[in-house]
Amino acid sequence: MSIETSPVFLLDVSSGQPIDAELLDGIAEQQLVHWEDEWMPVLRDAVERMKAAGIERTKWPQSRHWDWRQKAQGFDRALANPGFCVTCQGMTQGMMFLDLLHKARIKSQTGKELVYIEYLENAPWNRRHIAGDEARFAGVGSLLVRAAIELSREEGFKGRIGLHSLPQSNAWYANTCGMTDLGADPDYPHQLRYFEMTPEQAEAFLAKGNTP
Amino acid sequence: MKIEVTKDWCIRMARLEVETGADMEIGGASAVASPDAVALDLSSESMPETNIAFGRFVSLMRRKRRQTVESLAEDAEIDVTELVEIEEDNHHKPEPRTVYQLAKHFDVPTPSLMQLAGLSVAKNASFYEEAIRFAARSETVEELNDIERAALEAFVSVLSNRK
Repeated sequence: MSIETSPVFLLDVSSGQPIDAELLDGIAEQQLVHWEDEWMPVLRDAVERMKAAGIERTKWPQSRHWDWRQKAQGFDRALANPGFCVTCQGMTQGMMFLDLLHKARIKSQTGKELVYIEYLENAPWNRRHIAGDEARFAGVGSLLVRAAIELSREEGFKGRIGLHSLPQSNAWYANTCGMTDLGADPDYPHQLRYFEMTPEQAEAFLAKGNTP
Repeated sequence: MKIEVTKDWCIRMARLEVETGADMEIGGASAVASPDAVALDLSSESMPETNIAFGRFVSLMRRKRRQTVESLAEDAEIDVTELVEIEEDNHHKPEPRTVYQLAKHFDVPTPSLMQLAGLSVAKNASFYEEAIRFAARSETVEELNDIERAALEAFVSVLSNRK
């Protein structure tokens, strides 16, 4: 299966300038190598720093134990589990795995198909709570959510998406993405909160970036 | 799949991200869990004894094999940071995949180790009593001595005899 590339832009946080980037509709070996060789050392250093500084464990990066290679093998390029990534300056800046077999839970959409975001991670050097003021690029998360919405539309799901957010990310999905918070999910490990986006909310999210 | 996104959209959304300073990570569940593990026990914060026993068990099994934390992490294909947390933090909740990998590496039944790690529920209380007894008998000392070795081997036997 060939991976298609769409031209996109990220914001260079230090200069405030747009930077050419690419949105790929797949996760290839190159991304897994970047995760192993470039992301993991930065994550480990961050955990060591936070540990030494006495920062409580709940504030450490919650994705520090994720294994993207194992996730990629688990999904094994299944048609129901497409992936996307964002690259910039030859480096993977964010990755996402999706699942097309989930159903909507919001009352008005109950039982309708949606695109479920299984995993989404931004490169550690782009994350404010790891890199602080030296965070490199912004825009990765929005582009990946946009990709999930576009895929949902392409599949005929009208932009419906769903996800279980990590606690550190709840505010982003509720406030900026405008998703409906359906509360802590008792059937999900660690009882993470479940968020869903209706077709109308998807429209509103896309419009947000078009409003000057 | 080609996606058309304008430069303005990308930059406006990126600026929103900067303004909110939010993280966007998704995905707290592990993709791999033992197929016969019972449902995750989210109330196991109330069972710190099994967490102590799990960390102690991993530490002693590692030392019995004369492995460093790093070499065990490498051999079992798990994250070294999580292994440190398992051994040193009684409140750490390990990832199911990590427990699965450790069970394979130590050659003990995955469901039993899942229970010891607090990720699934034991079917009877005697398991927890064994875990507490093990934790009590194997208090950390500098080297793995005969008593620790005996405690460890006895507990391996308990784990292995469970269905």
